[in-house]
Amino acid sequence: MTSKTSSAVTFLPSRLQSMLRTQEGVLLVLLVVIVVALSLLSDRFLTVNNLLNQTRLLTETALLALPMTLIIISGGIDLSVGSMLAWSAVMLGFSWQLLGLPLPLAVLVCLLTGVVGGAINGLLIAYVRVPPLIATLATLAIYRGFSFGISQARSARGFPEEFAFWGQGQIGPFPTQFVILAALIVAAHLLLSRTGFGRWVYAIGNNELAARYSGIPVERVKFTLYTLSGLMAGLAAFIFTSRVTTTRADAATGLELDVIAAVVLGGTSIFGGSGSIIGTVLGLVIITLLRNGLLLTGVKGDATFMVIGIVLILAVLVNNLVRRR
Amino acid sequence: MAVPIIELREISKAFPGVQALDRVSFEVREGEVHALLGENGAGKSTLIKILTGAHQPDSGTILLRGQPITIPDTRQGLKLGIAAIYQELSLYPDLTVAENIFMGHQPSNRFGMVDWRQMQQRARALLHELDADDLDVTRPVRGLSVGNQQRVEIAKALSHDARILIMDEPTAALTQHDVERLFEIVRRLRARGVAIIYITHRLEEVFLLADRVTVLRDGRVVGTTLEVSQTNQAELVKMMVGRTLDTLFPKDPAIPGEVVLEVRNLSYGRTTRNVSFTLRRGEIVGLAGLVGAGRSELAQVLFGITPAQSGTILVEGKEVRIRNPREAMALGIAYVPEDRKLQGLLLPMSVRENTTLAVLRQLLRYGFVDHHAESRLTQEYVDRLQIRTPSLMQQVANLSGGNQQKVVLAKWLAAKPRVLILDEPTRGIDVGAKAEIHRLMNALAHQGMAILMISSELPEVMGMSDRILVMRQGSIVAELDRQSASQEAVIAAAMGASELHLV
Ligand SMILES: Nc1ncnc2c1ncn2[C@@H]1O[C@H](COP(=O)(O)OP(=O)(O)OP(=O)(O)O)[C@@H](O)[C@H]1O
Ligand SMILES: [Mg+2]
Repeated sequence: MTSKTSSAVTFLPSRLQSMLRTQEGVLLVLLVVIVVALSLLSDRFLTVNNLLNQTRLLTETALLALPMTLIIISGGIDLSVGSMLAWSAVMLGFSWQLLGLPLPLAVLVCLLTGVVGGAINGLLIAYVRVPPLIATLATLAIYRGFSFGISQARSARGFPEEFAFWGQGQIGPFPTQFVILAALIVAAHLLLSRTGFGRWVYAIGNNELAARYSGIPVERVKFTLYTLSGLMAGLAAFIFTSRVTTTRADAATGLELDVIAAVVLGGTSIFGGSGSIIGTVLGLVIITLLRNGLLLTGVKGDATFMVIGIVLILAVLVNNLVRRR
Repeated sequence: MAVPIIELREISKAFPGVQALDRVSFEVREGEVHALLGENGAGKSTLIKILTGAHQPDSGTILLRGQPITIPDTRQGLKLGIAAIYQELSLYPDLTVAENIFMGHQPSNRFGMVDWRQMQQRARALLHELDADDLDVTRPVRGLSVGNQQRVEIAKALSHDARILIMDEPTAALTQHDVERLFEIVRRLRARGVAIIYITHRLEEVFLLADRVTVLRDGRVVGTTLEVSQTNQAELVKMMVGRTLDTLFPKDPAIPGEVVLEVRNLSYGRTTRNVSFTLRRGEIVGLAGLVGAGRSELAQVLFGITPAQSGTILVEGKEVRIRNPREAMALGIAYVPEDRKLQGLLLPMSVRENTTLAVLRQLLRYGFVDHHAESRLTQEYVDRLQIRTPSLMQQVANLSGGNQQKVVLAKWLAAKPRVLILDEPTRGIDVGAKAEIHRLMNALAHQGMAILMISSELPEVMGMSDRILVMRQGSIVAELDRQSASQEAVIAAAMGASELHLV
């Protein structure tokens, strides 16, 4: 079938054309442009060392962005991830230093704290039916309050040397957390795109009522999603603590914004119903590289923020154009 | 003969994988009701979207009073006096009746502010022309009956001073009474010289209302436009589906088996009151009643959407509790809901994902969806229900209205229920496919399924049911069997004897 509508990109090969119709395709092109530009501007940018090092900084945001992608697709949002991270980290330091628990147990406490925080969100949203924005805005404040209350504004430090493995060590040539992250990205991608659970997430985001009428356990799915988000916050807290070797109550303040920006830049609709893990990963990489590259080329920190904001808006605009075609 | 007010010449329109319109030509005159017929997916809605400016044709010309025009968007279409009432009503539920009527062109005062007083006056005047003075223009649209919402839509069209009014299946969701009021309005507009394009799947309406009729099949005009007085129903059916249909309601009497579902004194709020009935294997039971009598509400209680507050439900003799749709499904109950957009479909998702949604658990291997099994199952139902789609991966939003309805049916048939509750199952479905669905209902009943069918189409209820339950104000007020039931008896029961004198 031939269509008479002409488009501006007709001179491109058709494979590239159809790729450009997806958000992932647009992001990939954007990524290439950014990498080329930054490597021209700074010779320290495009080095294996620098890039691998960046994955250390990216991991904590990425761990939170994975469940956030699912949550936003389901039509929800979780603003409390940064606070959950801080609360979990503080619990790690507290139970190890003040309660004297062995370190592995303290790590377990840290993960469990995340799970509890997430489960509370899940209960409020799925069963008490508080709108996600309000529920997690409230717990954002509450969990941050717990962090300060428990830590009494003191930071735990002096962790043993082996503990640094998770946040500073290497597995082969790769940073430890990069390996963990890679595995979780694959898992999240499969969960969302291949499993029945993933299908339910999309269904709920597209039409919650129809999902309910089709026998989908809407409450259970939502509860699981927010709990998962908590678990990932716990894991991120653990890796974060190992990386910076201290637990502070004000850790990860505002991190939720980075996380949501990456997900949305990745093409996940903020209204729910569509999105992908691949998009989120691309979004994360772009934000991280942009931040690092601009820093290396000597752009001041504040300006970096602005550039990222502009990229975010541009990406969404492009996305809208792509969809209208 | 006068110049037609609007004429289409050789209009074509393609969507990816579908030639929706293929060199379609036809014309409409002032003061005529021109019926447009065709199977689901024949291209009717696409044609009118081209007329209103919602879609652009790939080729062909449109002439307004003999002058070639282009209609770049619906705003321009309205300016040219072309208005449409779509298959799906599109009002803003939280705005008032008057605000909806004047959406986008509110009367304003000297200071450029909305002139509320004038807006309400003019809204009242428009509704007065439609003989709908009973409608309060200051109340929000939410909660209005479908019939009233439609009158608001018509008033909205008239507020643009439409000379060409297009109605896409306007009676699909109306009660008998509202249908008659609508006909009255259509006749009145025709007398004022408005040209009306009227799309319907109910052939009898063509003969009641239309002057001429054009039939579309696979995006092409079949034969030529006919004078309604020179044709008959059989000929139109033949033009639409390409063959003759022998019987409209191919009903074989059931051989009812044992009781599968029994409810006693079921109640929920004010909408379901002390309902008791039984349903046997192999029978089709019609649930009749006026809109608002509580038929869909009863279905929702049975399906666990609004779980019963009191009363008992027995499935195959065992008392059960149904607290959510999952529990209902586990007991073998399926419910094809009334509103496909709201309760039935995931519009942005594919035909395949929609069809398998209710049975996804059976298609999992280690938690992963088995795409081959999924496609096989979907293909089976696409074939059985003759769902017209270029591929299984097509977004449901891009299917025609009738084909969307078939996807909802497919979803629930795939669940292979013991008890199937159908809520207006053939709404918006063409004659051929309707007969097909009725045949399917018979076959399913023969295989032992128990079917509870809610329908506002009395002929369908009369034609397909072994027994008829009539509801009024949340209660079952009559039970009639196939032999003794007459349309009059059903109507009398539905309206209540006391109100009957008034009709
Ligand atoms: N936006 C779209 N994208 C792709 N295909 C479309 C789109 N709109 C319509 N179609 C296809 O064009 C064909 C004609 O659809 P149309 O809605 O005009 O049918 P119809 O005659 O109104 O049917 P019905 O009686 O079921 O409402 C169908 O095959 C439909 O799937
Ligand atoms: Mg249509």
